Order: sequence, then C-alpha cells, then structure tokens
Amino acid sequence: MSFRRFLIKRTVIAALLTLIAVSIIFATLRLLPADPFSALVASGSLTPEEVEQVRAMYGLDDPIYVQYLRYVENLFTFEFGISLTQQRPVGEIIVPALVNTLVLLLPALVVTAILSSLAGMYAGWNRGSWFEQSSIVATTVFRATPIFVTGIFLLIIFSYGLGWLPAFGMRSPLANPQGYVATYASVDFLRHYILPFTATVLFYSGDFLMLARNSVVERKGSEFLMLHRAKGLSEMEQLGRAGRNSLLPLVTYFALRTGMLFQGVITLEVVFAWPGIGRALVQAILNQDYPTVQAAVFIMALAVIVMNLTADLAYAKLDPTVETGDV
Amino acid sequence: MSLLEVDDVKIAYRMPGDDVHAVNGVSFSIDEGDNYGLVGESGCGKSTLAKSVLGLLDDNGEVRRGSVRFDGRDLLDLSEREWQSVRWEDIAYIPQSAMDSLDPVMTVGAQIRQAIRKHRDVSKATANERVAEVFEMVGLDPDRTGNYPHQFSGGMRQRVTIAMALALDPDLLIADEPTTGLDVIVQDKIVDKLIEIQEEIGSSLLLITHDVGVVAETCDETSVLYGGKVMEQGDTDRIFGAPTNPYTIGLKNAFPEVDQFDEQAISIPGSLPDLTREPTGCVFRNRCPFATEECEGSHPALVEVDGRLSACHYTDRADEMRAEAADPATWGIDVRDEGDRTAGVGNAILETRDLEKWFRQPQGILDDLRGVDPDYVKAVNGVDLSVREGEIVGVAGESGCGKSTLAEVIAALQDRTGGEILIEGTPVDELLGEDTKEFRSRVQFIFQDPFDSLNPRQRVRAAVSEPLKIQGHDAETIDRRVRRTVEDVGLRPAEKYLDQLPTQLSGGERQRVAIAQALVLDPTLLICDEPASMLDVSLKANILNILREKADERDIGIVYISHDLASLTQIADRLAVMYLGRIAEVGATEDVVTAPKHPYTASLLAASPKTDPAVDRRRVLLPGEPPNPVDLPGGCNFAPRCPKAEETCRGEEPERSAFADDGHEAACYFPVEDVETELLERYAAAREEEVGEVVEDGPTL
Repeated sequence: MSFRRFLIKRTVIAALLTLIAVSIIFATLRLLPADPFSALVASGSLTPEEVEQVRAMYGLDDPIYVQYLRYVENLFTFEFGISLTQQRPVGEIIVPALVNTLVLLLPALVVTAILSSLAGMYAGWNRGSWFEQSSIVATTVFRATPIFVTGIFLLIIFSYGLGWLPAFGMRSPLANPQGYVATYASVDFLRHYILPFTATVLFYSGDFLMLARNSVVERKGSEFLMLHRAKGLSEMEQLGRAGRNSLLPLVTYFALRTGMLFQGVITLEVVFAWPGIGRALVQAILNQDYPTVQAAVFIMALAVIVMNLTADLAYAKLDPTVETGDV
Repeated sequence: MSLLEVDDVKIAYRMPGDDVHAVNGVSFSIDEGDNYGLVGESGCGKSTLAKSVLGLLDDNGEVRRGSVRFDGRDLLDLSEREWQSVRWEDIAYIPQSAMDSLDPVMTVGAQIRQAIRKHRDVSKATANERVAEVFEMVGLDPDRTGNYPHQFSGGMRQRVTIAMALALDPDLLIADEPTTGLDVIVQDKIVDKLIEIQEEIGSSLLLITHDVGVVAETCDETSVLYGGKVMEQGDTDRIFGAPTNPYTIGLKNAFPEVDQFDEQAISIPGSLPDLTREPTGCVFRNRCPFATEECEGSHPALVEVDGRLSACHYTDRADEMRAEAADPATWGIDVRDEGDRTAGVGNAILETRDLEKWFRQPQGILDDLRGVDPDYVKAVNGVDLSVREGEIVGVAGESGCGKSTLAEVIAALQDRTGGEILIEGTPVDELLGEDTKEFRSRVQFIFQDPFDSLNPRQRVRAAVSEPLKIQGHDAETIDRRVRRTVEDVGLRPAEKYLDQLPTQLSGGERQRVAIAQALVLDPTLLICDEPASMLDVSLKANILNILREKADERDIGIVYISHDLASLTQIADRLAVMYLGRIAEVGATEDVVTAPKHPYTASLLAASPKTDPAVDRRRVLLPGEPPNPVDLPGGCNFAPRCPKAEETCRGEEPERSAFADDGHEAACYFPVEDVETELLERYAAAREEEVGEVVEDGPTL
C-alpha cells in the first residue's frame, strides 16, 4: 500500500471519528433534563413567553435535525456562538485561554520528551547502573506525586522561602501588555513561567524515561545490535541505533499526550493561578455556559483525533514495515 | 605463523550462584586461506568461542585463561577502542539468524555503507559503489540496496549479511551457523557462494555449525566440541571418514544420510554435562557407552591417532567402537524388528480429497464494492493425501510451501476453504458436530517448538491429564493413563517427571511430554509439525524412534511434516513432496528418494549435504526463489525455475498422476531420468553465464 493511500485512509477515518464525537456532544447536551433558560423562569426573571422568544432567538425551537445540521456547520467553520454568561463570542473566551495553556504545556512536554527519553535510553543501555536506579526512583516519585503537590512544594521553596520567583498568575498585576508577542516575550512572563514549567517537566518525565528505558532494554540483546557491534561501531553509535529502534512507542506516547494537552491541567492551573483552558472549562461548566463547554469539548476531541492521526503517520514514516501492513 | 591462534582458552559466564564453564581449554589455529570448522551441539561452547575472537562476549562472560592471537597480536589485551578497529576491518562476522540480524529501520545499503565508512575515510558515493559491488558478488540485485530488510526473503537477507562481511576484504570471516533456519536448496546456494567468494578474496573462514554435513563438505580442518572441550581435531576428511572419538561417532551416526532407509535412528542418550563446575572427568562419560572408571578420573588429553587428535582414553579401540556404535543397542536403544511393519495395508485413517486452504488477500474497500475478485494465497491447493493404520506419511517441502497449513487444516486448527477430509471414512464436519471432543479424541497434534507449546506453569501431570479431563474421564482412569503414557514416551520412572515444571526439563524431555499429551487420548491419527526441528541432533533421533514405535504398536497413522529430508526418509513409509500448495510427488519413501521423478524433488534431494567427506556432491544451484504465492504463473508452478520446462509445462498444469508407477506419482510431464545431467549440470551452466558478467569488475576498494 502506498503512503498516499495510507494517508487518505487514515484521514478519512479521523474525519469520521470527529463527526461521531461531535454528534455525541450534541446528543449529550440535548439529553440534559433542563435547558439554561428554565432556570431563568424559576428565578422569576423571565416569563414563559419571554423564554420562548429567547429560545427562538437561539434557534432552539427548530426541528432537532435542523439544529444538528446548523450545529455541525458552525463547529466546522469554528463559529462557536455567544457565551450565555459572558455575553461575548465563545472564541474570545476560549482561544486566549487555550493559547496560555499551550504556551505552558507544549514546550514543557517537548523538553521532557527529549531529555527524559535520552536519559531513559542511556539508563536502559547501562542496566543496573546507579544512574538507571536513581533516575527511575526520582522520576517515579514525581510521576506518583499529584502535580499540584509538586507545584505547592516548588512555590513554598522558591516563592515563599527563597523569594526568587513570583507565586501567582502569568504576569505581575501591574503589567498590562497587549498582543501575544508583548505578553509572552517578556522577563516578567518568564519569571512567572519557570515554576509551572518545571512542575510539568518533572511530572511527565517518568513516562518518557520508563518507556525509553524499557524499549532500549528490549533491543539490547538483539542480534542486529550484536552485528552493529561486530562492525566496529562505538558504544554511543550502538546506543544511537538502539534508540532509533525504540522511537515508536515514544512517538506514539508523545502524540497522545500532546492531544491531551488541550484539556489543560486543571490542578496545575489552579495552584499557579494560570489563566488556562482547564480553569476556563471548569468555570463554564459551573455556570452552565453550554456554548463554551461545547466548543471546549469539541476542541479537545479534535486535538486527540488529530494527534492520533499524526501518530499513525509518524509510525508509517518511522517504521518501514508499517506501510505494507494494513494497520 | 597461523592467522588465528587460539591457545588453551577458558571462558566462563558469571551466573547468580554458580559460574558456567562454557569453554574449557580449547586450542586451535587457522592458517591463511583455510576453512576451519567448529562442530558441536548447542551448549558445546562453539558460539562462545567465536564471540571471544571478536570480543563480543556478553557482559557476564570472561576469558579466564589462554590467549587469542590474530596475525601475531594478542586480541585479549585490546581496549574497546582497539577492538573497534579490528572488528570488520580484519575479522568480519556472519551472524546466525539473518532474520533478526539486520537493523529493521535502516536500508540494507545504509547498513553496509555504515560498516565501510566506519573504517575507511571515503565519500558516500564511493561507499555506495562498493555496496553495489558486494551486492553483485553475492548475487543480489544492486538496485535493491535502498530496500529495508523486511523486503527480502530469509535467504536473501543472509546474502546481505555476507555482502556486508565482504565489504572491507577482511582476513578472517567468522560464520556462526550461517545456514541454520534456511531451506536445503537455499543453504546449498549460500554455502556455495560463501566458499566461492572466500576463495576469490583469499580470506580464511571459521565456520561454526551443528550440521556435520555442511562441515564435511566445506572445511579443510575441524574441531569437534563437546561440553567446552575439543573431542576430536584435525583433517575433516579423516575425522568424519573414520571418527575415533565416541562422541564424534555418535554425532555422525545421529546424522543420517538421505538414502538410509528404515534404518533405526541412532541417538546419544542422556543430556548435556553440568558445566557449573569445571569438568574433572571426561565431559562425555555420562552418555558414552564405552565409558569406564578411568574416564571418571580425568578428562583425556588430545592424543594423535591416525593423523588427527582425539580426546579419548581408548583411542586404540577406535575401530572396535565404531563397529559397535553402529548398533542401536550399544546406545541403549531397544532394537526394533523392522520386518514387523504392516504399513500400507491397514484401513485408511485419513483421506483428503482436493483439500484447499486459500487465504484472501486484503484489498481496498473500493475494490470490494466494485466487485473486484480478491487475490488469494493458495497455501493448500487441491491436495489428496491418505494415511493408513500404522503408516507414517512424510510431507516434505521448503518453508512457505504450505505444509504447515496442510497440517493445521487436517487437524481442524484452521478451517478449510474447499475439498473434503475423511477420518476413518467419516467426514470431519460430522465429527466436529456439536463439540470437538469426538474429533480431538481421534486426531492429535504435536507442535514444532516444545519450549513454547507447553504451559510453563503447568506440571507434567496436569499437562498430560488435561486432554483426559476435557473428555470427562474419572480421576482413577486419568491417573492410570497418564502414568502409562508418560512411561511410554520414555520418561521413566513416571514419578520422577510427573511433578516437574517444563522449565525443569530438557528440550528433548519437553517434546516427549508434548508427545505424551497427544498420545494420552489414544488417537488414531497424529499430526506432527516439525516435532524434532528445535532439538539437537542427538535428541532428534530419539523423538523419531518414539513416533515409529507408537505407529507400529498402536496402529496410529502419522502425518510427519518436516523440511529435513534425512529424518523423513528414516521414519516415513510414504513421502509426499509439496511445492507451492501442491503435492509435486508422492510415493513409497524408497521409490521417491532413489528415483525422484519431479525435477523439484530431485533438486531437493540432491541439495542435502553428505556427512561422508569421501562423497563428492555437486551443489544444487537452483536459480531464483519460489514465485510470489499471490501471483502464480500459469501452468506448472515449478516451470519458471525448471531447466526441463517446455511450452506444455507453462501452458497447462500437470495432473499429479502425470507420471504414475505403482503408487509413485509425480506431477510432471517430463519425469527426470538422470539428475546429474538433466538438472545439476544445467543449473551450474546457467550460473556460470550469470557469474561471468559479474566477475570482470572485481572489488576496487
């Protein structure tokens, strides 16, 4: 099977999955016992007639399939509608929060994926060494500790104890930068960035380290490495080949993790008062702000599906045997 | 001065608890341009020795004594960095399992180029030229250097590793079981290529193998190893012409020639010596029929006998021992009365009629919707096979010919896609009916790998009684039958084995447990898929004897699938040869082996190596590889590779009875009369033409 056919097949599957996910979101929200306006009637702010008007304004009195089609059309053109509680477009609420989250989590994930994987490969190659033992213990501790606990410890030490770094938020209260460049490319931002970034790196390091270590350990006794060694390759070159052959699980895991970043890490954002998507979502749910919830959930589903697709494609590129099989 | 001198080397592996003394004082030397063979069964230390010459011992292995000198330089003193320059530049290595030895995510060309550029400061383009050159030398298409290992067949991958070994014109090639796992015809071509190239570039060869035939045919000098000791050493012709050491005698006897019929297989009883202590007595004494107290006391030194060295206290009795060793009774094997055989006269137990197993090839959804006919792999394509009471029918063929699928379909482990199977005259569908109990009580299966086919957490008693429990027998019957069967397959006394776990058993014992598991239900048909191929030669014969015995005693019909022709001819009453899903030839074993009619059968038989060095065999250089089973040619499947093929063969597929003579049938329009002139000479001639073009532009690097 050619790579093009593979690509088309996978993409079609991803598109179908997205449609299914979207439909589930739609159905779930319609199945909820009440709609957001019933509460307004109960509280006496609106009369039933006014509620009817509002429902008509939002198109809620159309037949269900018309609503569904309009909903799908809007989602795929990234028209998320107006927030019920904040009276502004959902996009304006979600996009900046999402960007804040990604600016924090994506670099952290990339850094930990590269560093921990390399460390893991080295650990696997030198099985039984003190480096292997201690790296496993250390990263497992950080993996097992909830991320907000690590965060609180970091805060206690570096903010309250040593006073080196600020404790809250993404910028000092007085700063009011405009535009993304001014927001993110400043020393002030960097000072706020270091602690949550470190907490994230530590949290994810265990997964990559163990994955990389295990797959190198698996490769280590293999015949082809013996032949590489017999060819006169140096220790590091052999490790390089073992590492190259261990990439598959790492890439898959990286892609899946990236997909999940779009949900944010709520506890982390709360501890560091980081205005990310996780916090935005929790607030929207508490306020029964359905358009916002709907949009956020859609973005999360889309991200997971797209990253899965990316993982599949990376697989085919990294492993020459994948294309020929019918994955 | 010799090129490689191994002097009194001792190698041990550190293990938790006891160290394993894998090599105990071995010396040998290889002269420039020589072929040297190291022969022995698994665990004899041959691979450990080879690895020590390349400095590739596992982390827990260490050379405790002795020296390895290469070109006057002591290799054992080298630092890892110095090793790196010796490896490949001076000593190249051809690994055992070509299937796993190539880096799966690197193109084969890049892997060879890597070896070149590691040692030579050349541009990528120059290195690529060299890669193309060595590819041509080993008979691979130079345009395929950009392919990945999985795109090559097993034989071709082995050629890639040979090409890699040649890349830098090393002085010494170490080949560790280079043909194990390959089919005989492929093996013959690979060995031929290896020897040809080695002579061309003038390097020495250290060949490590368990196959006496391969060594006898290719090596000038040989060391026979057992338990980390040299048992016999010297000129190959002398050693295998007239072995003087009981172990060599036993090893040679365990390797039957293809044309030894009905001779009882001789095996060496017992198991490998315990190497957790350094051996004090003769390492072979506990399995040697001639051992005395003297052998207990000390390991015999190598003494010169008849132009070679032999480690035995009784070398003066060599002729006598050789004569006695030919008698199975000497090795404690019950002598069987061959005249008693009633083969081929009893009732038919198994009959297949036009049996088919086609595997559908995956195709796109669009093709499905458009109604395009999918492609099929016709693994079993119209096979008629019958087995009678007390008869062993051998099915031979190369890997991929469909023999294992045939076995599994008959045993109802896979569904058939066409044709009929009758067990004692009853169609299988009736027997399978509501549950499989009825069928399973009549038909049993023995798998290839005794290491995988037994549940590691199940004791022997539980494993053997499981089939009886499924059939619903009471506890007392189960106990009685389990004991009887376990003793029947030679695990005596039963008490010693019943409570053991598979890991506590040797390979041979495990396979006997597997046989007991199959026999405990008193089946009428037993299907064995390469039951002895994972075992060492000396144990293989044992399994064959048990099966032969059971067939005779219990009137069981046995289908014995194997690619090993020598064991088939020894055990089978009738032989069927398969090629690409069809039976090419079938008949009484003796008829098929002495007068093969199908060119494929004839080639297969001629490719078996001879253990007698006096026999000068012409190699079988059958061109090409079996065609892609999805896209078979019209007419006879073998026609594209057959030197006798004519228009008729390519036009219409021959019936199996195209040649028929008293139960001997061959699917060939032009049956072979003389193998030598009709096939082998023509193969060789075709090869000459091909090689002539390549040799002109020799290596330049």
